[in-house]
Amino acid sequence: MTDSRDTTASNDDMDPRFENLAGYVLGALENDNERDLVEALIESDSEAHAEFSALAEAADMLAMAVPPVAPPAHLKTAIMEMAGKESDPTPVRSTAEIAPVPSPTPLWPAILRSGFATSAVAAVLVIVVAGVLGYQNNQLGNEIESLRAELTAESAVVSSIQNELLATVSESENKVASMKTEMETMETEFGDTTEMVVHQEEMVSELAIVNAALQQALADQSWLNYVAMREEYQVASWLKSTQPNPAKTVVDASGLIAIRYVGNEAVFQAHGLAQPQPSYAYTLWLLGNGAPQPVAQFEVSEIGAATVPFLLPAPFQLYSSVAVTQERVDGVGNDPTGTMVLSADTN
Amino acid sequence: MDEVYRLNDEGLEDLELLAKIGGQDREALSTLYDRYGRRVFALAVRILNDPVGSEEVTQDVFMSVWRRGATYTREKGKFTTWLFSIAHNRTIDELRKRRRDRSRQNDDIEDHYDLKSSDISPADAAVAQSEYAKILAAMEDLPVEQKTVVELSYFKGLTQTEIAEKTGQPLGTVKTRMRLALKKLRKALSAEMGAQV
Repeated sequence: MTDSRDTTASNDDMDPRFENLAGYVLGALENDNERDLVEALIESDSEAHAEFSALAEAADMLAMAVPPVAPPAHLKTAIMEMAGKESDPTPVRSTAEIAPVPSPTPLWPAILRSGFATSAVAAVLVIVVAGVLGYQNNQLGNEIESLRAELTAESAVVSSIQNELLATVSESENKVASMKTEMETMETEFGDTTEMVVHQEEMVSELAIVNAALQQALADQSWLNYVAMREEYQVASWLKSTQPNPAKTVVDASGLIAIRYVGNEAVFQAHGLAQPQPSYAYTLWLLGNGAPQPVAQFEVSEIGAATVPFLLPAPFQLYSSVAVTQERVDGVGNDPTGTMVLSADTN
Repeated sequence: MDEVYRLNDEGLEDLELLAKIGGQDREALSTLYDRYGRRVFALAVRILNDPVGSEEVTQDVFMSVWRRGATYTREKGKFTTWLFSIAHNRTIDELRKRRRDRSRQNDDIEDHYDLKSSDISPADAAVAQSEYAKILAAMEDLPVEQKTVVELSYFKGLTQTEIAEKTGQPLGTVKTRMRLALKKLRKALSAEMGAQV
């Protein structure tokens, strides 16, 4: 009799190594990894192997205890046919097929024992072999001829393709050369256009300068009007350029001097002057009353204009002329030495 | 006069048949099938409750024997243990596959015993009934917890973890109960069935 009490707790003395053996036997492990571990344990550990054998026999009994059920007859036929397909092609006779069968008397030894027969057989063999070889040789010859014809045809096709490729390459080269020429023409035209644009830009720039100078002249005219209205100043001298303007792109330089009726205050105004040389500035001289007298040194604006107030050292009518020269900024001498750009008589 | 006679394979032991199978002897496979085909088929039907699926499983099992028979050695245990291990594993694989697919549902374990076995001879049926009665008796003697884990694992194809979840038992307890149940079954049955197994 077996003990029907569940003694799990009291009998829980299982070797931890064997904890999955029963699960393995009952097919209750989780995955292949667990099964591999158990199989490795069974192979390497004799105690585990003994435990496994004991448990496996119990599982064996579970299977054996299931009442047998005859499978359908066609199942065995299917299994045997499948086994036959996978086995050696030599058929295996069943027990029912096994019956004593007398061995047939062999004929070849008797025939071979006869010399005539041997010669005849040899002759037949030679003829057959020669025939076979001749047939095979003829077949090979035909195949070679066929291959040659195919090769010739293929060569013609290849040659045709080569010609087409050469023609295509030549046509492409011509197109490339034509495109190069067109590009060069376009580059030339583009260069010309660029030059024209630059020239036009320069003209615009010069016109802008002229425009500015004209604007300044208008401003000067306005100033003169102002002076006239105030009646406190009168234009005492008009100065003109002493240097021709070969470019004729700007108005000629000019200037004037206005003096006050009362006192010694005066104003010099100029426009159209070019920028002086580096380290030089324009200097206004009063001449003809003893030694030349520099009364003002001045710079000009970007458009060559300047308005310079100054004090007369003596009454203006005592001087015979006025002039504007370029002198060094670090020191003006007793006489004008630089290039004279404007001058006028005082009368 | 040369005459060839062959022994009837029915008189050979299992291991001798396996040796012949290793030599691609289909007659030996035929004999082995006649000897164990009904039990393998019955086990598959018992677990799958599907005769058609059980035919496929039985075919796979014997084709496996045909291919792997030469690799069997005594060190692997009794031949029947090896054979039923192959059959059980193949059947459980099929059962789990079906469970995953959820295409078919199996009935409770008790329903499987209603399957007809009309092709069984009266003698076989008597023997089977006797063996079945003994195993049932041995199973009935098991504590209900141990019987449950055996039924759920061997016949229902549940894993240890699934049984633990289903029964609410700790995994370690499930493992211990499996081991104790098998040991008790072996002890109870080996004395009575050992000669027949």
